[in-house]
Amino acid sequence: MSVVPMTDTAVEIEPPVSLWRDAWHRLRRNKLAVFGLAVVVILAFTAVFGPYLTPYDFLSQDLNSRNLAPSLSHLFGTDDLGRDVFSRVVYGTRTAFLVAIVVTFIAVVIGVTLGALAGFFGGWLDRIVMWLTDMTMSIPNLLLVVVINASLKSPITSWMESRYLATLNPLYRETIWVDFLLVFGSMALISWPPYARLVRAQVLSIRSRPYITAAQALGLTNRIILMRYVVPNALGPLIVAVSAGLGTAMVLESAFSFLGVGVNPPTPSWGNMISDGLRVWQHYPHLLAAPAAVLGLASVAFSFLGDGLNDALNPRGAK
Amino acid sequence: MMMANTIRPEPSTKTGERLLDVKGLTIEIETRNGPATIVDGIDLHVGKGETLGIVGESGCGKSLTMLSMMRLLPNKIRVTKGEANFAGRDLQTMSNSELRKVRGGDVGFIFQDPMTSLNPVMRIGQQLAEPLIYHRGMSKAQARKRAGELLRLVGIPGAEERLDAYPHELSGGMRQRVMIAIGLACNPQLLIADEPTTALDVTIQAQIVDLVKDLRDKLGMSVVWITHDLALIAGLVDRINVLYAGTVVEDAPVDALFANPSHPYTQGLLASIPKLSDERSIRLSSIGGTPPEPGRRPKGCPFAPRCPLVESICHDSVPSLEGLSQNGSHRVACFVAQRKLEAA
Repeated sequence: MSVVPMTDTAVEIEPPVSLWRDAWHRLRRNKLAVFGLAVVVILAFTAVFGPYLTPYDFLSQDLNSRNLAPSLSHLFGTDDLGRDVFSRVVYGTRTAFLVAIVVTFIAVVIGVTLGALAGFFGGWLDRIVMWLTDMTMSIPNLLLVVVINASLKSPITSWMESRYLATLNPLYRETIWVDFLLVFGSMALISWPPYARLVRAQVLSIRSRPYITAAQALGLTNRIILMRYVVPNALGPLIVAVSAGLGTAMVLESAFSFLGVGVNPPTPSWGNMISDGLRVWQHYPHLLAAPAAVLGLASVAFSFLGDGLNDALNPRGAK
Repeated sequence: MMMANTIRPEPSTKTGERLLDVKGLTIEIETRNGPATIVDGIDLHVGKGETLGIVGESGCGKSLTMLSMMRLLPNKIRVTKGEANFAGRDLQTMSNSELRKVRGGDVGFIFQDPMTSLNPVMRIGQQLAEPLIYHRGMSKAQARKRAGELLRLVGIPGAEERLDAYPHELSGGMRQRVMIAIGLACNPQLLIADEPTTALDVTIQAQIVDLVKDLRDKLGMSVVWITHDLALIAGLVDRINVLYAGTVVEDAPVDALFANPSHPYTQGLLASIPKLSDERSIRLSSIGGTPPEPGRRPKGCPFAPRCPLVESICHDSVPSLEGLSQNGSHRVACFVAQRKLEAA
């Protein structure tokens, strides 16, 4: 009855190749994706360490050297207040990354949670979530953000002011956080629906796969099945969407800053630099070109990386 | 791994101690034209230590009965009547948390398709450890150690190294062994094998059957083996239930079934197994027609439209499962077979 073959000798076992490592190998072969990844890494490095490496403070004004053309001492020239544009672009990278990461993070958390629950449990929960998603997507993005910022900013600011006067707690003086809070909040509010839709569609298809029934047959709870079996299998397309979404969030933040509802001056943001530069571009094109070029580069890099990840994580769809 | 000396205790079919007892289970599916019955009042039972084979063609409700019994089917498919008692407790009425303890803890499953029944993004070892941590309260380290033992038990070479492998790195046969190991992880009292060899090639099929046989004898559990291949399980099971259109048409000890197949459907199934002695020119025997679709079941015997021995009574009333042999261990649901017996 000894039918179980036990061939312990001379069994060659390759080191385990995970799906992720496989994907990494494929990603590395894609030149555009590697370019995108390199730019993203450089920009991320700049965002973290940049402000310590720049020759000038982004706020320090030198009214004797206003609107200088790019030179060795001022790589991207100076603006109308004599501030070093390079330093401001570098600091703007930090703003852009901060906004992009926080906004995308909030949007992904909301989107994945709602989408996964809706797809997994279906029924009335699904209908409510999809209704919310459709409703949010039906409102023009820019309009919603402008309305939120325009209507909430001054009440919050004046409330903070009155709290400061009442308590003298310096915390209430830091109005810059109100800025960020509103920008993050309103941008996350318009960014989550695509993630929810994507994850819901993924979960719907994963829910009917045999390994989910197998997991249920093991007596695992819905929570474990959802978090360990369903969501990880939905991650591939989500990672792609997040990569592209980070770029979109940067562009979006710039658009809002450009319209004056984003991060407020003097905090440098590519958007408000572009906005300022646009007014004088015929005379000082570098004021427009520098932030616009960096924004374009960042956007293109994220989108290349997203495409590369898409091919790497869904090998069947790739050539 | 020597198992040659394991002596298998006599299954307790005779003492009547039933581990699983399904009574009158009726399953309906929601269709656009309202609910349609797919399984109509099925009765099955499995004794302690007994191995039951459930045989029937595709779509006759074999897997469906087992899955819905464990409430593993989507909401569209519902059990509307009947009960399924496991160790004396009705699986249909117990709470979800109680049911979860039974699933994976007391009842292990092996599924049809090893290629898709493992989570592709989780390492083998972790998937094995999951039920151990959840049902047996083991620590991660204990569960990993036990996972390694389980892989060795099901004959996976280099078991410990394989713990860190992902499913896609294993062959189909290896994956099915992993599935079996997962099904056995918590030493279940009952193992439900749902066509576990369908996706595998013939040599591997025999290995898997032998493996389950060995493990059953060693661990003393009951097994329900669902298949459409009578020949494959002849040496494995104690008793066979032949299913047709969601009802048991014949229930017999394996030897009696092969010696004296009494239902015309069983006879047809047995006749359709090709024999080595057959002339090459002989056409393979088959049963004409197709099983009734859900919602379009005939009024009388469900097999009547395809039956070679059909009589007028078959179209009017449904035969019940009646004992053929003295002790009632061989039962058949067929008017013609029952009358033949009375005449004899």
